[in-house]
Amino acid sequence: MKKNSLHKTKSLLSLCASIVFIFHFSFFIFSCSGEYIGVPRVEVLSYQTAPTYGGLHSLATAYGQALNDAVKADTLHPGMYAEYGVTLALMGHKGPACRMLNAEMKAFPESRGIVTRIKQRLMPDMVADTLAALRDTANLAQLAEWAYDSLTALKPFADVPPVIDSSDAEWIAQQTPVDSINYPVRLTATQKREILEQQQAQEALRQQAIADSIAAAKQAAIDAREQAKKDKEKAREEAKKEKERAREQAKKEQERQKKEQAAQREEARKQQAAQREEERKRREAEREAARQNKTKN
Amino acid sequence: MKFIAHKNNKRIWRIMMCVLIFNFQFSIFNLLTSCKTESRLGQYSSIYKECPSVIYVAPLNDLSMRRAVRTTEDSLYNASLNIAAKQLFLTASDPLVHNGYYLPGPLASAQLAATEQRTGKQLRNNDISDLKNDLGIDAVLFITLHSWKQTSNTWTVEVEYVLRSAVSGNELLHVSVNAMKMLSTDFKGNPLPLPEDKAFAERYGCDLETAQRCRLVETLNQYVLRDLPSGNRARQHTTERYIPSHPEFFNLRILNDGSVQMLKTELYE
Repeated sequence: MKKNSLHKTKSLLSLCASIVFIFHFSFFIFSCSGEYIGVPRVEVLSYQTAPTYGGLHSLATAYGQALNDAVKADTLHPGMYAEYGVTLALMGHKGPACRMLNAEMKAFPESRGIVTRIKQRLMPDMVADTLAALRDTANLAQLAEWAYDSLTALKPFADVPPVIDSSDAEWIAQQTPVDSINYPVRLTATQKREILEQQQAQEALRQQAIADSIAAAKQAAIDAREQAKKDKEKAREEAKKEKERAREQAKKEQERQKKEQAAQREEARKQQAAQREEERKRREAEREAARQNKTKN
Repeated sequence: MKFIAHKNNKRIWRIMMCVLIFNFQFSIFNLLTSCKTESRLGQYSSIYKECPSVIYVAPLNDLSMRRAVRTTEDSLYNASLNIAAKQLFLTASDPLVHNGYYLPGPLASAQLAATEQRTGKQLRNNDISDLKNDLGIDAVLFITLHSWKQTSNTWTVEVEYVLRSAVSGNELLHVSVNAMKMLSTDFKGNPLPLPEDKAFAERYGCDLETAQRCRLVETLNQYVLRDLPSGNRARQHTTERYIPSHPEFFNLRILNDGSVQMLKTELYE
């Protein structure tokens, strides 16, 4: 009896342990895989790698579908409305984009600063709409009800795929430097022509500026080279003159020294002559004295 | 007989006392353990303190070296690194969103980054309180991809995560990770691609090498950022759950089944 009860408790314990283990393990596996269902990852990565108009279209469609699914399943993630709104705005659908951004702001009130900045960048003429939406969200008590209503009301938006003219896509694919930030909105034919002319004029101006700068640089280099040559010649002449001047100076010095030496020699000769004269006079006087003595004796 | 009965009673009494004392001690122990709260850990305590709700992932700072393009292999290699870097940026928001933080999506982030005049370095080092005042962003996550290393069957990536508060300017999280992924090889020593990698490559339309890189950075993001304290949308900070935070620098190996094995520095080297 005792053995049976022990066996039962053992089996119960092992069952509990296995349940706990499976729960933890499944949680771990789920958390490792971690797919964020709010973002259509493949489309985002492909668009970020090579941003084209077609990629933007598929991205917008995927966001629309994801948003629709999320609203149906009540698993709305932060940023989904804003992402869809940004894609729509980049494609030129400013009205729905503005409504999507407002919906984001109402569903997630902490996003109002971000949404306002995005609106200032993508649709500056619709920032006032943001202020109106902000006024609506002032009463936080009604926010939950409003968010629910907005979600139900906004369902049809996700069903409407953005309308794209294939000629537009081709033209933009040819023209745009694949920059998602400055993506052109849908344009009329005249606007396209104007933009093309403007781009061509800008390109011509840029080319002209480049050519001018290159010519100016070349001229400056030539001028500098000539100036350097002139400076060199001048320096050489000056050096030559200096050398001649030094040579003349040295010559003059030599002559002066020679003159001085000659004068000294003359002086010495005169002194010697005077000494000799004195000597001779002394000797004559002595001789005279000796002769007188002889005569006396 | 009386004596034996008395003796038995005494023994039973002693056993009962032992059981009672043991129960008492056990209940006291239980009481103490249930009352004891885990001490707040160094890295996450600032997150608990500041309770950020809106996090902005700054554009990725990619410092990994690219090859000089001479052959098509070089250009393919560079493209693979570019895609992996983009995947690192895109998947960084997933665990944070799951944890209940508000994060703008990738396109909205690109628009915000376009309006930002400062560079990533300036944002990381200077005052960013204007982000809080103008945009309502509570914290900015800076991700720096330092390097990629590759041997025949091993992939290694070195990534630094910094979560900086826009309110106080403090670093709420600063983690540097060396993540390694080893692929099993065939009898010739060539790496065998995993079925998950193949599925990823098919789904995203890229080559196997890129798929392996992308899955590595995705798993790394999940591992590093999934254990942050929950944000306002998932659970309130008042009912905190204390999770051991990551150390400032660590090495890990991602196994083929997706699980993670921590490595000592010596082992990594």
